[in-house]
Amino acid sequence: MLAMTEDLLAPEAIDDPYTYFGRLREEDPIHWNALYETWVITRYDDVVWFLRRPELFSSEIFLRDPNPPYPPILDADEELYEFNKKYLSHWFIRRDTPDHLRMRAVVHPHFNPKYIDGRFRTMVREVIDDLLSEVEAQGRMDVLRDFATPLPVLVIAQWLGLPQQDREFIRQLSRNLLALDQENPDRNQAVHQAITTLVDYLNPLVEERLTHPQDDLLSALAQGEKQGIIDRDEVLSNSLLLLVAGHQTTINLIGNGTLALLRHPNRWEQLKQDPSLIVKATEEVLRYDGPVKRAPRIAAEDVEVHGKTIRKADRILLVLSAANRDPRQFANPDAFDITRYPNPHVAFGGGPHHCLGSTLARLEGQEALKAITQRFAPFRVETPRLEYQTLLNLRGLKALPVSWT
Amino acid sequence: MARQVKVWVDHNRCVGNAMCTHIAPQVFSLNNDRQSEAVNPGGDTVEKILDAAENCPVSAIFVEDAETGEQLFP
Repeated sequence: MLAMTEDLLAPEAIDDPYTYFGRLREEDPIHWNALYETWVITRYDDVVWFLRRPELFSSEIFLRDPNPPYPPILDADEELYEFNKKYLSHWFIRRDTPDHLRMRAVVHPHFNPKYIDGRFRTMVREVIDDLLSEVEAQGRMDVLRDFATPLPVLVIAQWLGLPQQDREFIRQLSRNLLALDQENPDRNQAVHQAITTLVDYLNPLVEERLTHPQDDLLSALAQGEKQGIIDRDEVLSNSLLLLVAGHQTTINLIGNGTLALLRHPNRWEQLKQDPSLIVKATEEVLRYDGPVKRAPRIAAEDVEVHGKTIRKADRILLVLSAANRDPRQFANPDAFDITRYPNPHVAFGGGPHHCLGSTLARLEGQEALKAITQRFAPFRVETPRLEYQTLLNLRGLKALPVSWT
Repeated sequence: MARQVKVWVDHNRCVGNAMCTHIAPQVFSLNNDRQSEAVNPGGDTVEKILDAAENCPVSAIFVEDAETGEQLFP
């Protein structure tokens, strides 16, 4: 037995997941967490092996999990929980083949790397320039609130085809959807409210796209419905997925990246001198402190791994952030090295469920971090203590107040 | 005669997303490590192969003209 907490939302696991999961990786790499009733997989080779075997490790966590949720929820919320689970079970990231591909294929053309670059590179640069010009003279900002959040929200709103003036509404409700990932027993109420409000908001927009398609994701989904490939519930549910996945992650890529750079001022200066390092630097941010800590799976059958038996329907957490610091794969894994190459991190997962939006995430991360380092000297942090959001799957700061002169 | 192409997948990059085996299943196939291999470059049109290469999320697919060596992708 390891003498460490099994509470994955305890301060020590939230504040410093690298130490917490790093210990598991070194001492018990295929670990059974009895509190959460889940396997916790932390070594690079194992995580990659699991990610690439969807026939053994299913993504259908909302359809196939017979166990009650943990942390526990209110008895009175049981019905809400079932509703939420059913609605989110349409997310293609939570489905296996053939449903996964059937739904995802509807939006494939919008994820073509060349298309993404052509459509967003210039726009992203302009938005970044506007945002930074707005704060520059003030000498201070909250990186999360003033920079890392507005950029991805604007991009995702445009990509989906949502009116720009609805950004604040979109941001707030998407954030509420993340409550699913928290510990408060009444979390299903916030999630339920977010789902129903967003669905009521999106439904008429989808309706309109059926007859007046435009160059956006809602139109692609609506056309998929028209062709009988997906139904309306799937259209709406996957719109929520694209909305949330399309910006909550990128916010934290920019936030975590800014923090990593300001904590390594020599690296900040190095990037300022040689902006051609931005691609490698962004990959290193993804490895060193990526926005997604874990990928959940559920065993599709009994499987023996390194002498342990994973039973059918057992929960599994693949800890991407522990794999990305595995010394068996990366030299000096805890060093932030913006020249690291090759850098085969698993920040975007792997296998058939590798992040579909990785091209756009990289584009936004690269442009944001390049602009910040080009324009400013290393920021000073204006708080004695940085706090992380208490979330199981995402790694992100609550705020990052900084100043410069 | 149709253009012949040389196709290969960089396994340092391939994450086994299988976008290519979806777009051009006659050409690409996953190996035991679940990484893609161009098992039959003549199995589909050059357009289809380029489509697979362009849509690869990690740009792991390389295509060149078998005769002239001209790089067609990336």
